[in-house]
Amino acid sequence: MIKFTNETIDINELPNFEEVQLNQLQSKYFNVIAINLSLFNFLILMLFFVISYFKSDFFSNRVWMIMGAFIGAMIFLSFFLAKLSFNKKGYAFRTHDAIYKEGLISETTTIIPFNRVQHVALHQGFISRKLGLASIELFTAGGSSSDLKIPGILLEDAQKIKNLVSKKINPEASDELHKVDQNNLE
Amino acid sequence: MNNFIDFSIPQRQSLLGILVMFVNTLQKIVRAMWPILLIWLVKIDSHNKLFIYGGIFAFVVIIAVISYLQYYFFTFHIDKENGEFVIQKGILNKTRITIQLHKIQQVNINQSLIQRFINVYKLEIDTAGSDKKEASISAISHELATILKEQLINQSNNNNYIHQVDDTTELSSTLIKISLFSLIKIGFTSNYVKSFALLLLFFSTIMENLRQVSDSAQIREDQVTNYLDKLPMLTSIAIVLGSIVGLVLVVNLVRTVIKYFDFTIQKSKQSILLSYGLLATKNTLINPDKVQKIIITQNFFQKKLDIITIKIHQASSNAEQVNDKDKIEIPGCSQIEHDKILKLILEQLPEKEVCLLPNWRKFALNFVFLSVFPVFIFFLIQYYTLFISWTIFFIYTSLFFVFSTLMIYFSFRNYKLFVSKKFIVQNEGAWDVDTSIILSSKIQAITTQQFFWQKRTNIGSVTLSTAGGNINFTTGNYSEIKELVNYWLFQVENSNKNWM
Repeated sequence: MIKFTNETIDINELPNFEEVQLNQLQSKYFNVIAINLSLFNFLILMLFFVISYFKSDFFSNRVWMIMGAFIGAMIFLSFFLAKLSFNKKGYAFRTHDAIYKEGLISETTTIIPFNRVQHVALHQGFISRKLGLASIELFTAGGSSSDLKIPGILLEDAQKIKNLVSKKINPEASDELHKVDQNNLE
Repeated sequence: MNNFIDFSIPQRQSLLGILVMFVNTLQKIVRAMWPILLIWLVKIDSHNKLFIYGGIFAFVVIIAVISYLQYYFFTFHIDKENGEFVIQKGILNKTRITIQLHKIQQVNINQSLIQRFINVYKLEIDTAGSDKKEASISAISHELATILKEQLINQSNNNNYIHQVDDTTELSSTLIKISLFSLIKIGFTSNYVKSFALLLLFFSTIMENLRQVSDSAQIREDQVTNYLDKLPMLTSIAIVLGSIVGLVLVVNLVRTVIKYFDFTIQKSKQSILLSYGLLATKNTLINPDKVQKIIITQNFFQKKLDIITIKIHQASSNAEQVNDKDKIEIPGCSQIEHDKILKLILEQLPEKEVCLLPNWRKFALNFVFLSVFPVFIFFLIQYYTLFISWTIFFIYTSLFFVFSTLMIYFSFRNYKLFVSKKFIVQNEGAWDVDTSIILSSKIQAITTQQFFWQKRTNIGSVTLSTAGGNINFTTGNYSEIKELVNYWLFQVENSNKNWM
């Protein structure tokens, strides 16, 4: 282990997480979001049509028209916002940590140092698999509040990242195994 | 060592153990049947004396016989061939508990009150991968217990998990005891709600049982209400309220003292052992390396009385959720005891170097939403419905306004984040002031957050996650926060310190 002696640290000299160039999610991943959103919107629309068809005397025709227009506008808006928030999402892997940024109204940046990651997983949803995409999930200890999931990465890239992170975690694990072996030998 | 006792032959407990078993069984039965017993006691006059004493005698004899049989059938031995520790017990239902020796994590020897009287000890075995105490021998002489412990630990020597815990007789030098006086103060100042609920349960159970026994309870109830009716209204309210408050206080006091009597904190090589309890001694083990977050709570009264509550969160053993077992509460201690405990766990008192304060907008926002806005709503309702007179409305709203504004002001004033080289300390709360302490080397994820309208004013929040809970600081100076985030990341990524 390197002896670390560094009493006065100039905070301004430290690498700044804000200045890191973030990678955009794969543009294909927006298709996944769009399909999921369409399914949801379709269900709402169907519900609206079924109610307006069978219970048409609930409101006057004019009110039904306004409600329909409103729902249409909401659906349009939901796609628009989804696109905007998709553009906001970004990730980066530095030497020692992973950064993920998201959020349109509330912008959140999550940073997990690799030496605190317990294990790393690679996920592929049904639609993602068809598009050759995957998501990386970093798990930390104790509860799920600080786990990190980065979606919309090309499968090859995701596998590379997974191997990279595993390697970063592994040295410690193999050290521990080594220790256990030694203890057993004694 | 004089290991002349051969534990491969099944051993019985100390003969005096019958007494322990007797008391335990008695306690169990009384606990299960106390409402009926209480009513019997009250109605003791109406029964035949001979019948009662005969009943009690038969009762005692039956329990004594059961205890003897329990003693007779309880054996334990070490099976060297299979590397197991075996306990066999049960009168009709035979139970055989086997524990693989290499799984034994720790062996505790301690005493409860009864055991102290007859000078026997309790031996408990903790294993890896289990929440509860796996096996316990409730009456064993000290000599035998030490030898057994030694043998158990020797047999399981090839694993590196073992923590040797000093037993009660070998007191180590770093020892903290919480005084009875502190406990009494805690009994008076905390856990009112819990005691009140217990009291309610107690009375409802008694009432229920009384009704079942006879209708005479109805008459008693009427008598009480009649008596209260005769007094002036204020006096009767005062009597009822006073007796409730008094009872809650007494129950609280008794509960706290019984539960936490003789609260002792001991440090051994690798871990800290907490033991407490008057009737049954409880043991909890803390591994200082696993401690992630410490929460210290104190309100105004408690500050005047010099007592502090400490909660210790350890790294969760369960990956999915945070267990209650990982949260340990030290009910109360004085400032001096508090300092000692913190030093024991953290090796030093957390220093406070840089202080981050929230933006004034935090106060303004809370003031508008929690103080002004509700008053405005009340006003609208009152204006349109006139459901109370304007004077009463004015009194209530101004009371609410003053109270909520004060609360918001205090919570704003207490809201602080202190950062030093090793520690991050957060203060929050209006009445109960919580101080959360984490070591910056135990951070495992950092999240910064900012609403888009906060960009112009440079305000933002940060959440620091550890394996045992988070620390959250909102509406602070965002550029300061970001600098600190860089600093924390640097600290975490440069250390290989054991953090869990």
